[in-house]
Amino acid sequence: MTPPTATAPETQRQPLIPPSTHRYAEVIHRLEAGGSMLPDTPENLMQIIGIYKAYAVPMDFYWRDLLYIAEQVFLDPLPAFKYFPTQEYLDRPNAYAGEQSKLRIWRGGEKAHPELLEFMAKGETTRMPKLLHHLWHDRINMEFAEACMEAMFWHQGMGGRFYDYLECDAYKANADKAIKAYFRGNPLMLGLYALFPEMFLEQVRKMSYYANLGLFWEVMAPVFFEMSDIYDEGGFKGVPDAMDFLVNGIFAVAGRPIYHHVFIGGECFEIIPKSEGFTWLYEAALPYVEAVFYRTAPFRGTKSYNAQAGQVPAVQADFHYGILYADVFPVGSAGIPPTLLMQDMLHFLPPYLTELYAKHKRGEGDILNQLGITFQRSMYNVTSAVIQALRCALLYPLDDTDPEHLMANRRFFEAQMDRFLRPEARLPQIQTQDYR
Amino acid sequence: MALLLLLLLPALGAVLLPLLPEHQGLLRRVSLATVLLQFVIGLTQLGQGPSELHQVWLPRIGLSLDLGLDGLSAPLAVLIALIVLVTVLATPADQARPRLFLSLLLATDLGLTGAVLARNALLFLLAYELVLIPTTLLLAVWGGPRRAQAAIQYVMYGAVSGLTLLGGVLALGWLNGDGFSFAFSDLAAMQLPAGSSHWIFALLVLSFGLKLPVVPLHGWQPLAYGQASSPVAMLLSGGVSILGGYGLLRFAVGFLPEEWILWSPWIAGVGALTAAYGALNAIVQSDIRRLVAYGSLGHMGLLVVALAAATPLSLQGVVAQLLAHGLISALLFHLVGLIEAKTGSIQIPELAGLLNPYRGLPFTLGLFLLALMASAGIPGLAGFVPEFLMFEASWTPFPVPTLLCLIASGFTAVYAVRLFNRVGFGRLDNDRVDYPSTGWSERFPAILLAALVVVGGLWPGLLVGWSESTTTALALRREPFSALVAIAPSASPRQLPS
Repeated sequence: MTPPTATAPETQRQPLIPPSTHRYAEVIHRLEAGGSMLPDTPENLMQIIGIYKAYAVPMDFYWRDLLYIAEQVFLDPLPAFKYFPTQEYLDRPNAYAGEQSKLRIWRGGEKAHPELLEFMAKGETTRMPKLLHHLWHDRINMEFAEACMEAMFWHQGMGGRFYDYLECDAYKANADKAIKAYFRGNPLMLGLYALFPEMFLEQVRKMSYYANLGLFWEVMAPVFFEMSDIYDEGGFKGVPDAMDFLVNGIFAVAGRPIYHHVFIGGECFEIIPKSEGFTWLYEAALPYVEAVFYRTAPFRGTKSYNAQAGQVPAVQADFHYGILYADVFPVGSAGIPPTLLMQDMLHFLPPYLTELYAKHKRGEGDILNQLGITFQRSMYNVTSAVIQALRCALLYPLDDTDPEHLMANRRFFEAQMDRFLRPEARLPQIQTQDYR
Repeated sequence: MALLLLLLLPALGAVLLPLLPEHQGLLRRVSLATVLLQFVIGLTQLGQGPSELHQVWLPRIGLSLDLGLDGLSAPLAVLIALIVLVTVLATPADQARPRLFLSLLLATDLGLTGAVLARNALLFLLAYELVLIPTTLLLAVWGGPRRAQAAIQYVMYGAVSGLTLLGGVLALGWLNGDGFSFAFSDLAAMQLPAGSSHWIFALLVLSFGLKLPVVPLHGWQPLAYGQASSPVAMLLSGGVSILGGYGLLRFAVGFLPEEWILWSPWIAGVGALTAAYGALNAIVQSDIRRLVAYGSLGHMGLLVVALAAATPLSLQGVVAQLLAHGLISALLFHLVGLIEAKTGSIQIPELAGLLNPYRGLPFTLGLFLLALMASAGIPGLAGFVPEFLMFEASWTPFPVPTLLCLIASGFTAVYAVRLFNRVGFGRLDNDRVDYPSTGWSERFPAILLAALVVVGGLWPGLLVGWSESTTTALALRREPFSALVAIAPSASPRQLPS
């Protein structure tokens, strides 16, 4: 364990605070030095950037379809075609990427990524109608995106005001207008709405989370694309560079409005208007990280558990089934959401990652497992970025010279690391390259 | 000529291999060619009708090279060749001292084949004893950490078995009222002096009971199977143990029918005890190889109950069980060997998640499940045919032992489910899991055996078709439902006690 080292190129300065005695002291010192939970090695950098690229392509579909479902499919009682976003949504420009965007931060983003469009046309098989691709399951697996949305919807008390807003009268009034408009001329559904209003309201709340996650991923997709481009151009020198890019991205769009608009008969119904002031960082990004990276749900297959033996916590906040804790070996077992994501990413792996996987373990035979572990590494890096961003927002700079402030930072980092003390956490494993 | 070739081929192989250079590929190819040829010749003899070869060897001691094939020995000779064939195939590519190993395998093959072909009790004895030497060496040199202890136990039990058989065979030959002869034809027609048949019978039953084995003569088996390398365990369970069943059927049932009828209730009791003891012990094992060993012991118990019944149907079931058990246990031990080779352990508490499609051993575990299902007597697999025949035929003469065997057979499902729940499912251990996948050369023996297990279940004639007339001729009781069974017109039970 080495104490945090302030940069002193010529004279060795004494550390301002004593070394941490935490079990993850080495990781904490790395975070205090501006690093990531993921060790800074060339292979780690290659792995995480490669998987960001592979993740970004399906994510480009996820956010478009999530918004399509939230805004257009809405309360369709038989949403058989909800995974078939219209061309309008595939051509929808990204709000924060590309020259056409109102606030250009990242590159690209004019419309859906070319690799995504190519895959949607051909899949793993050949060119055929969309419906056949869908039925053959040769497609992007939106089920994963929906599982993430449901995790956010189900886990509450993760900060922010978004969930509470869904219970307020203003929201209910807006939803009521939209429901009545959507079912105009449909006495059966309107009758059902009169009998069971909460059932319909709950569906609208779910749609609001579709919108929430869609708007979150609309930001993340171009971030990951650009990271891949920068890496290909030789721009990143290490894992901390990649993390810093994420931190800067988080702050760049932290104030992006989170809203829910529904389009019915050409009219826009603002169920959650932008004027409510919900923002990307607090109402989408942080709840997403908490719900999906940490908590989620014990999908049979990602985690082995015995509910009868009390192995599933009674308190939702104690759930620990996210990617940071995931045992990725059972991947592929039962069509569970994480498995579907692995399958989605597999289609878009950059060649250097495919070559890497071919050299290790069972090569192509267990490539889903290997890329799953890479994904785990990359999400530890994203989580590191979120932790650093929170530290920036709430605490003190890393180069602060006040020991009190540094100790406050230390306590914050240690509190974050406490969440990885449970045996399921994969933080110790990702410290070595042997974990594949 | 075919009879002679069936013996000459393994003999030649066993002699030739030590003269070849220590080149793994060459040795393996020569061994495979030898056994494959033996297997093909054996196949050509199936369904050909009885054939015999008589050659005087040492007439002064009554030893002659009397060989023969009938409905009992022909399928067993083919099974032995097949088991040795898959044993050679299952021998690891990096097998230490391959020349000696393969040579000993072929020597065992020679002994086993000689025993089932012999039509002279002294020749049978020689072959029976010959098996003991190479198998002891195979166990002692290539076994697990406690192989020395296992080999000592094995050879001690084997020696007792051999000595008692020697006593029984000599007594059979010398006390034969018609003169000094060890020929099976003479022994089948002999009249023993009053009083002597009891102890001759006891000697023979003790000898073959040790080899089969049955409780309480099984002391060597769990340790030997547990410590033997997988190819050797395949040979011991699939090949060597059939000598016990064959010996009981040929000598005790065949030459001493009155004694067999007299003692059959006790024998059935021992069989039921063996079945229950084996199954219950299998349930509590933490070592997969010992679990399979006890499971095998349990199935031998059922075989003994059916032997005790000695009806045409039950004896047909016995032969079918010898064949099916040979295939299933060889498959199980091969798969256990693969698990050990890939994971480094066969301890149930140390393994989990092996059915994982990417990082586990799904192919191996899948076939393991198939083999355990066959062992449990699931319809459509080879284990069902003999179990059905044996239960059906043993029920009337021995209802209580048969019921116990039925319950014990049900326990197979218990230890199979327990094993799979712990080893197949659950999560792979992050710290341990780095298992290499099985290669096609490793899978091939398992595929071959598994295919035969399935074919044997779907086509019962493969297991029972060859032995019908011979077993009917050996039968001592008539079934109350003989109309259900197609008994060859020429054959009829020898003795029908009231």
